[in-house]
Amino acid sequence: MKQIIRVDMTQLKVTAEDAPEKYKYMGGRWLTDSIICDEVDPTCHPLGPYNKVVFAPGIVTGTDAPSSGRISVGGKSPLTGGIKEANAGTPFAQKLARLGVKAIVIEGVPKEKDKYWLLKMDKGGTKLHKADEWMGKGLYEVFPSLFDKFGKHVGAEAIGVAGEKLMTNAGICFNDIDNRPSRYAGRGGLGAVLGSKGLKFIIVDDKSSKGVEILDQNVFNKGTAKLAKALRSHDITKPGGALNTYGTAVLVNIMNEAGGYPTRNFREGRFEGAAATSGEAIRNICKERGGAGMTGHTCHPGCIIQCSNVYPKPDGTEHVSCIEYESDWAFGANCGIDDLDVIAELIWLSNDYGLDTIEAGGTIAVVMEAGLAEFGDGARAIELMKEIGKGTPLGQILGCGAATTGSVFGVVRVPGVKGQNMPAYEPRAVKGIGVTYATSPMGADHTAGYTIAPEILGVGGEADPFDTKKAELAKNMQVETAYIDSTGYCLFIIFAVLDYPEGLEGSVESCNGVLGTNWTTDDVGRIGSEVIDLERSFNKAAGFTKAHDRLPEFMKYEKLPPHNVVFDVPDEELDKVHAK
Amino acid sequence: MSIEVHLYGKLRRFSDNQNPRRESIVHFPVEEGDTIIDIIKRIGIPMNEVGRNVFLNGEYSQLSRSVRGGDRLGLFPDDMQLLYRWYFVKRGGREQ
Repeated sequence: MKQIIRVDMTQLKVTAEDAPEKYKYMGGRWLTDSIICDEVDPTCHPLGPYNKVVFAPGIVTGTDAPSSGRISVGGKSPLTGGIKEANAGTPFAQKLARLGVKAIVIEGVPKEKDKYWLLKMDKGGTKLHKADEWMGKGLYEVFPSLFDKFGKHVGAEAIGVAGEKLMTNAGICFNDIDNRPSRYAGRGGLGAVLGSKGLKFIIVDDKSSKGVEILDQNVFNKGTAKLAKALRSHDITKPGGALNTYGTAVLVNIMNEAGGYPTRNFREGRFEGAAATSGEAIRNICKERGGAGMTGHTCHPGCIIQCSNVYPKPDGTEHVSCIEYESDWAFGANCGIDDLDVIAELIWLSNDYGLDTIEAGGTIAVVMEAGLAEFGDGARAIELMKEIGKGTPLGQILGCGAATTGSVFGVVRVPGVKGQNMPAYEPRAVKGIGVTYATSPMGADHTAGYTIAPEILGVGGEADPFDTKKAELAKNMQVETAYIDSTGYCLFIIFAVLDYPEGLEGSVESCNGVLGTNWTTDDVGRIGSEVIDLERSFNKAAGFTKAHDRLPEFMKYEKLPPHNVVFDVPDEELDKVHAK
Repeated sequence: MSIEVHLYGKLRRFSDNQNPRRESIVHFPVEEGDTIIDIIKRIGIPMNEVGRNVFLNGEYSQLSRSVRGGDRLGLFPDDMQLLYRWYFVKRGGREQ
């Protein structure tokens, strides 16, 4: 029987309870959303005593299902003021699942301020230990000592100094396959919520644990085989495919060619430094410099896709893992920086301080617009990031993200929705993405999926004769993404399963194998819709209205080169996305 | 009149500047009635290397689309893919 581990940070008490019947089939985002909606008052202060943080591995996480090593983290976001789910690919997820833990719920705030704790979980149980000796230090310094103390085989979760200082861009850090502090459930400031609760680390040791129970091994095996086949066949996800060869940064040159690559705080859609910072460039530099450099790196054991990288310094020693598309863009084109070595350093600092790179890059871009640095000045960008680590008043501001920074410095052009900064796709050039940014309960978010309004598809070009099945699938993308986030599979399986329906069936069957359910692909819609509805109802109770499902005003009148377009999707169309 | 062709990945070998960290650009003469396919063939690129990721003046395009002097054509090989392609309306002609 899977357990919920409840950690009361006020009483410093840990209890293990059998998971209630209503959560029986849930995992990942479905479970974090459900517990938050059941237990957290949507009007609570995100850093006060009534918010909670929930960690939940996915339904199949911890088994040998391919590309399934993901964990969801949920809570009320101090950045957006709404519900947040952030997820990460990490061996920590698999180890937590194998210990028989369905979810960890962190609640309450400590009686003593400036006292921090480490939660140690193993076959013998779960205990709180003092963590003061590790306070105030960079995570790259701290992680090796954690693994020395607890063993190289454990999983580690951490907040950095950003979380300790309650900065609203503080993310939640997990170890990668080589024990680096580099895999983030980054967005929405959940690291600050953990900081307000005095929880610095969670260590998971799954040695001698039972593993994940599979109720029907035959069904499970058939399902995972179907999914693996789809992943190995698709041009994007297959070994030697786009993601494995070039990483997610394969998108740099593509989005740039499409004129939708946001440049210099979303002023233009094409960046002259794109080629120098692309997936091709990263791959080329890894080859040329050799040493520690590699592409085709994986964030967790059992992933077929393997899209990560380790970026080397000129002398071949390791600089940072990894340079993702989003991080590459946020510190690159968005700041006018065309030097991968500078971008690598900015990512390293983000990882070290415990920040979300997308928001951090967006913040540097906003502060460049405010005049504290020139666009393209990499050295100054690094200095500004270091203010965050030092915790100076300027650093405290920057650590709170782009919207706060923009307010303080009088920047009107802040490209965010619900207080969260936009990722690496320009909504004026690609209107469908703008619809997603506006209507996702998560704020401006590219991974939350997309619901097509057919009217938008037809705008500005000849609509193609879509295969009807594909149109139906695309229509439900926001819902499908929510389902995938609940299974524990990496979101990137979506590229394969949307083209190969047998892959989607396989994912459902693998869940049936673990849970003993009889789901079909119809349940994908049911589960995903339930997840989206939970999030919207929380946000509504938290005070969100349709006025919050809008893009920033400047995007309605400022034309974006090279296409010279504005975001002209009518508000009424945006409101149709979630209309029942 | 000519069009400006931007080549990526393994397709860079059809240009003089093959540095993967810079732009590989070829200027090609264009004739009345030319489509994207005509340009690809004239450059000498095998069709099976091109994949579906072709952009004309920054627009995700069918290969049957017409090209004109002054256009910008971006050609990606089959191992470089637009991840979220369903956001992009493919301009021009019928799905092949």
